Amino acid sequence: MKKLLTIGCLAATVGIVACTNLERSRTLGNPDISATVMAQQVCSNCHGVEGTSISPNFPNLAGQTEEYFVLQMTGFRGQSRADPAGFEYMWGLSRGLSDDQIKGLATYFGKQTPVKNPAASSEKLEVISAGEAIYKNGVAESNVPACTSCHGDVGQGNAQFPRLAGQHADYLTKQLMVFQRTDERPEGSIMKTIAHGLTEQNMKDVAAYLQTL
Amino acid sequence: MKITSIRAFGAIRKSLWFVTTFISVFAAGYSADSFALPAFARQTGQNCVACHAGGNFPELTSYGRMFKLTGYTLGERTIPLSAMAVVSGTKMRNTNNPNPAGDPRDDFPMKNGDLIVSTGSIFLAGKITDNIGGFYQATYNTWNTPDKWTGSWASDNADFRYADRFIDPQRDVIFGMTLNNNPTAQDPWNSAPAWGFDVAPGSAWGGSYGKIPASPLVAGGLAQQVLGIGGYVYWDKTIYAELAGYQSTNNKAFTYGNFNASRISGTAPYGRVAYTVDWGGHSLMFGALGMSAKLHNDPTDSSSPTTQYNDWGLDAQYQYILDPHTFTAQVSYLNEHIKYDSGTGGQPGAYDSNSGIANSGANTGTNAQSLTNSSDTLNLFRIKGSYVYRATYGGSLSYFGLHGSSNSAYQMGVSGDPTGLDVNGSPTLFSVANNVTGKQDTTGWTAEAFVLPLQYARIGLQYTMFSKYLGASSNYDGWGRNAKDNNTLFFYMWGAY
Repeated sequence: MKKLLTIGCLAATVGIVACTNLERSRTLGNPDISATVMAQQVCSNCHGVEGTSISPNFPNLAGQTEEYFVLQMTGFRGQSRADPAGFEYMWGLSRGLSDDQIKGLATYFGKQTPVKNPAASSEKLEVISAGEAIYKNGVAESNVPACTSCHGDVGQGNAQFPRLAGQHADYLTKQLMVFQRTDERPEGSIMKTIAHGLTEQNMKDVAAYLQTL
Repeated sequence: MKITSIRAFGAIRKSLWFVTTFISVFAAGYSADSFALPAFARQTGQNCVACHAGGNFPELTSYGRMFKLTGYTLGERTIPLSAMAVVSGTKMRNTNNPNPAGDPRDDFPMKNGDLIVSTGSIFLAGKITDNIGGFYQATYNTWNTPDKWTGSWASDNADFRYADRFIDPQRDVIFGMTLNNNPTAQDPWNSAPAWGFDVAPGSAWGGSYGKIPASPLVAGGLAQQVLGIGGYVYWDKTIYAELAGYQSTNNKAFTYGNFNASRISGTAPYGRVAYTVDWGGHSLMFGALGMSAKLHNDPTDSSSPTTQYNDWGLDAQYQYILDPHTFTAQVSYLNEHIKYDSGTGGQPGAYDSNSGIANSGANTGTNAQSLTNSSDTLNLFRIKGSYVYRATYGGSLSYFGLHGSSNSAYQMGVSGDPTGLDVNGSPTLFSVANNVTGKQDTTGWTAEAFVLPLQYARIGLQYTMFSKYLGASSNYDGWGRNAKDNNTLFFYMWGAY
C-alpha cells in the first residue's frame, strides 16, 4: 500500500511538473510559447495588452518600429542596456527569450495601433510649443540637431530609430537623462552626442511635445 | 542597545547556526546567475521593486498583485527556496513594576533593551506548473513567552494557488483558487490585515505589550490555525471577488506550532470584494471583506461551547509610484460582533475589587471570571502613509484606534492594595496586563524611518506612542501606570536571501 502511494505521488508529481498550458502560459524560457501568448500573459502586465501602458514607468510599445524593439530586447537579454528601469524589470524577463520570440514580440507590438496619450491634455501650451521647436529645429546654440531627421516628422520613428509619438513624457525625459549623463545605453551612443547640449528644461519640453503627438 | 543577556547569546547562537546553515546550503547549491535575491526574484529575474512598492516589503505594486493573482507562475522554475532573518531590539519607555510582591522581570520581557536575533524564516516559494504556484513560510522564533528564551519552529503564512488568465484585447479575466492558512494572507492589497500595517519585520514584543492588545478575529486571530480554500475572479483589472471557507485542520504542516484541532466549529465563510483603478502612476483600490466563524471555547474539544464572531470591514489603498518617488497609503476599518454561547455569556456577576476579578455565582471563590456580557463589539481603525525615495530611504506614519464594548470579564487587577493577594492567595496580577476599565480601547501612533542599503536588506527604527491603553490614558492598571508608559522603541535589521 505504501509502495503504491509512493508511486502514485511520484506519478502525480511528474504529471504536474510536465503539465504545460502553452495557450495561456506565463513561463519564460520555453521557446514553444508563442510571442502573442507571451505579450498577453506577461508583457501586458506593464505595457498593456495592446502595447499602451497606463503607468509612465513603462513605455508604450504600440506601433514601435520592429528594428528598435529587437535591438532593445537583445540589449536587455545581453545585459548591455543597463539603465535602472531597464535592468530592474527587463533583464530577467528577457533572459530566456529566443530570437524568434523577440522577433514575434516586435511584430506583435509593432502592428498595434498607437492611441492618444491621456496625459497629453494636461500639458501647458507654451511647454508644448517650446518642445515642438526643439523637435523640429534642434537647439542651434547648443549644437543639438533637429530630432525629425531620425525620428520622423511626427515622431513615427524609422527602423532602429524609435517611434516617440505619444510616448510618456516622464519616460522620454528619464531616457534623455540616461543618454546624456551615463553610458548605460551603449546601443544608443549616438544620442549621447545629440543630447549633450540639452538642458533639463529642453528635455522636459521636447518630451511634453512628443507626448501630445 | 547592547547584547547583554547570556540567554540572548544562546538564542543568537542557535539562530545564527540555523541561518548560516541555510545560507550555506543555498550558496553551495545555487550560485550562478542568482543575483542573491529571494526565490520569486530569481524566478522572474527581476529586481524587488518590480513587485514591491519602492522595494518596501510586503507592499505590492500593480505588477506584484498581478504576479500573485496569476498564481506566482510568471517566470522560470528555479530553486524554490529563500531564507530571511530579523535582528531586533525593543525598549519600552517605562518598565518599573509597581508591585513589590512580584518579580520585576515578570511584567516585562527580559529582552527589553537587548539586541537579539528575533526570528528566522525559510520559504518554499515559486512556480510549480503553468497554472500552479505558491509559497510556504516556516518561522523560527527565538523568543516565545514574555520571560523565556525558548526557540521553536512554527508554520507561518502559506498560500498555494491555481490560476488561469483569459486575456486578449477584448477581455481580461483571471480566475483562480487559493489554499491558505490565514484569512487575508491571499489578499493582494496591503490594506487587508495579513500583509497590512505592521507585519514586517515582526512585532516588537512577541508578547502582548507595546502593541494593540486585541484585534478582530479576521485580523490574525486564526492565523496558522486553520486551512481554507477559496475561489476568486479579477475582471478587467477592475472588479475582484473572492469566496473562501476555513476549517480547523489536522494538517500540521500548515498549523505547526499553533495546532488547534477543533478551533473552528464547521466551516467559517470568508468573502472579499474590491474595485480597482489605475491611471498614470496612480493606483487606487476600495474594498470590503467579511468573515463569520464559530469558535470552540476549548480549541481542543469539539464538544465545548462556541462563540460566534461576525467580522466585516472596509478598506482602501492608494499608491503613487513614479521613480524616484513611491507614496502609498492604506486605510482599514474592521467591525466585529462577538456573540457568546448562552451557557457561557450573560452570567450574573460584576467586577469585585476585593478579588480583583469579575466574580459571582458559580465562580465565587475561584479565580475564574464571570462573563456577564452576552455579546461584545470590537472596532479597529487603522490608517498608514509611507514614502520611499529611490527605493532606498523611507518612512511611514500610522494611526491605530481600537474601540469596543465594556466587559467586566476583561477587568483584571486589584484597585486597592498593590501588595495584596487574590482569592487563591497568589500575588496580584501583573500590572502591565491589568485592566481596571473593562474596555480594550487602545489608540496611538507609530512612526518609522528605514533605509534599504541593498534591495534585500532593510534597517528601520519605529516608535509607537500610546494615547490610550486598555481603556484609559492614565492609570489603566489601577496602580498608576499610564498609556504612554507602554511607548516602545523598536529597531530592526531585516535581511533575506
